Amino acid sequence: MSVRLTEGAVEALFKGVEVNNPMLQLLSIRQIGAPSASPRFRLMMSDGQHSLSSVILATQLNYLIEQNLLVPNCVCLLKKIIINTLADGRHVVIVMDLEILQSAEETGGKIGNPTPCSADGKNSSPKKVSSSTSVSASPPSAAVPGTSYSSSNTAFSASGGRGRGFTGKAPVNASPMKASPMKASPMKASPMKASPMKASPMKASPMKTSPMKASPMKASPMKASPMKASPMKASPMKASPMKASPMKASPMKANSASPAKAMSIANLNPYQSKWTIRARVTNKSNIRTWSNSRGEGKLFSFEIVDESGEIKITAFNNEVDKFFSLVEQGKVYYISKATLKAANKQYTTLKHEYEMTLHANSSIVPCDDIQGVPTLNCDFVPIAELENRDKDAIIDLIGVCKSAEDVSRITTKSSREVSKRELSLIDTTGKVVTVTLWGDEAEKFDSSGQPVVAIKGARLSDFGGRSLSALFSSTVMVNPDIPEAFRLRAWYDKEGYALDSQSLTETRSSVSGSRMNWKMLSDVKSESMGHGEKADYFSCIATVVYIRKENCLYQACPSADCNKKVIDQQNGLYRCEKCNRDFPNFKYRLLLSANLADFGDNQWVTCFQETAEVLLGHSAEALGQLRDTDEDAFDEVFQKATFRTHIFKNRAKLETYNDECRVKVTVLEVLPVNHREYSRRLLSNIHKLAS
Amino acid sequence: MAGILDVPKPRINCSMLSQHINRAVCFVGRVEKVHPTGKTFSVSDGEGNNATVELNEPLEEELSGIVEVIGMVSNKGAIMATTYDVLREDKGTPFDLELYNEAVKLIHDFPQHYPFEVAASG
Repeated sequence: MSVRLTEGAVEALFKGVEVNNPMLQLLSIRQIGAPSASPRFRLMMSDGQHSLSSVILATQLNYLIEQNLLVPNCVCLLKKIIINTLADGRHVVIVMDLEILQSAEETGGKIGNPTPCSADGKNSSPKKVSSSTSVSASPPSAAVPGTSYSSSNTAFSASGGRGRGFTGKAPVNASPMKASPMKASPMKASPMKASPMKASPMKASPMKTSPMKASPMKASPMKASPMKASPMKASPMKASPMKASPMKASPMKANSASPAKAMSIANLNPYQSKWTIRARVTNKSNIRTWSNSRGEGKLFSFEIVDESGEIKITAFNNEVDKFFSLVEQGKVYYISKATLKAANKQYTTLKHEYEMTLHANSSIVPCDDIQGVPTLNCDFVPIAELENRDKDAIIDLIGVCKSAEDVSRITTKSSREVSKRELSLIDTTGKVVTVTLWGDEAEKFDSSGQPVVAIKGARLSDFGGRSLSALFSSTVMVNPDIPEAFRLRAWYDKEGYALDSQSLTETRSSVSGSRMNWKMLSDVKSESMGHGEKADYFSCIATVVYIRKENCLYQACPSADCNKKVIDQQNGLYRCEKCNRDFPNFKYRLLLSANLADFGDNQWVTCFQETAEVLLGHSAEALGQLRDTDEDAFDEVFQKATFRTHIFKNRAKLETYNDECRVKVTVLEVLPVNHREYSRRLLSNIHKLAS
Repeated sequence: MAGILDVPKPRINCSMLSQHINRAVCFVGRVEKVHPTGKTFSVSDGEGNNATVELNEPLEEELSGIVEVIGMVSNKGAIMATTYDVLREDKGTPFDLELYNEAVKLIHDFPQHYPFEVAASG
């Protein structure tokens, strides 16, 4: 270390003061910028007292690093430098010419104990060291007008953004982030990957999360890479004209309207004010109006995708009018100046952290250069795997529509009428699942020709085992233009159509099986079922042990829907109190009192008409006749019904009858025992008990 | 024949054959191949393993589907059948051999709950 470093130089440079030929030691080198474009190197220089990391090497000097002439710990003389000032006052030093005075080996190690010079942390994630500055050596820096984010602010924010992104999460980091952005900022112009950035995030642990973000970000910025790359030297190109002027101060004005550079969706965050993205609209919703206590309004939303990811955009009230007709699904647009905020996961199925809201200044411009923008980002799940996914998960699915029910109209709980349609989709796993479409999509759907249907963002439910329901935000595509669709089509035509596959959505009868609340009869007492405010519903497998023959039938009012017992007036007329009428006839209705038993306990239950008829195997009318005509046959019906085992779906409720409280159990449904399902359930219960 | 009917005949699958050599067993499986002589045929169990069944008299007609064989396990691991019964496939719920296999494994996993005892004949 025989060389003396110019002490105080770093501090001066940091303040933007020009220093003549300072002698500094190189501490570290970081490469920034797109790997495809020529690299830019960011240096951390020290004067023994302080270190400065906002130093960029002009590209014409890149060879020094590439040929390993410039290595950490060597001492250099900066012969020509340019200092750029960013909008927020920070400075970046661009080294135009330097001479290596002492090699790293000769120097030995770090000279002195330099402290970082930035106001705060500096380092930590220099993040975007990138760009701009380098841009053709002329410091356009800040500006880098990249259009999208030209302003240094943006740049700053971009980098900061990234950092900030994290910061958002860990306020503590705030400062470090700032620090880095400082250095970084000049570079904005070309969001370069800047590996250094990656490294840095590591420094500040709270930012752990960031690295992840960081990387995608790094990666993404390049999306518009063709353009970006150039900025660096070579083509100050697009930017250049602009660049020239901007230099310092955030010229940014540019942006919008001339998106030479587009940011990547994955990088979007609220801390970045100027950006432009280029993406395709994948899913546009209809206009929805709402009216609640706070007022009313309308909105529509759409999702966009680019190579880096997807994000949801919502427009309210005035913006709906402005943009609804402009935005078309499937087209690519440049979008800028919208508000970013944390995504409300309740309303979106996308994985982006943030979502966008358009405001009066937002701009959406159709884009012709659609190269590179993906059509749709779909992560299709094979139908056979649906069983392994959780209920209520949001899934993308693609399959051939084997069959479709007709459109049916349903009245929902909120008394709205909706159309619905169920389709059966089959895919290469050979499994079939039912998908429900609602509203317009249900009506528009054309199932002829067994089309390939792709659905994005459908909700998986355990209704009937496994089934899918299209949400308001789902996208349904018929015969989409994607490779999976062609593969499915080919498979289906060859073999799929013949497959008699197993549906994951069972038909009604066995539906109950998957959602039943299985209990044993002894549970009714041990769990005090029915004692709560609400009735308890449960299912059980039990054997009919006894059915009361007496008083099993009663005479009921013959008018439809009235089941009230009629009073025999003895004059051939029967009076119904509810209808307030006399009738010459009546209808027989069953009201059975039966005793059910299983291995542990027995239980008296009541069966009304429908369930009673199933148990006995005869209609109430027929039994009524039988009782009057053939007593033995009547008895035999009951005999045959006894000691049969069924699945019972019951309701238990505590009822008060003349000062007496009793738990009454009513049978809601009687089903035949599905032995296979029962066996499987028993086996799984045994295994659970055994483990 | 009388002898074997008095004795408990545990239900087994192929993997348990070796533990039941020289013992009476009950084996349920799907008929795979019938030997041309008709005196022996192979069956597969719920796990897919095969076993051989040997008969005293040759089969009179083609055998297919799921059968229940009662007999003794020979030293070589074949079942010397004393009687067999074909489970009808055209009526009722189809027999689920895999599920049956699970049940058989369960029986042997919990002998304390599924004891094989000679009933005290009264």
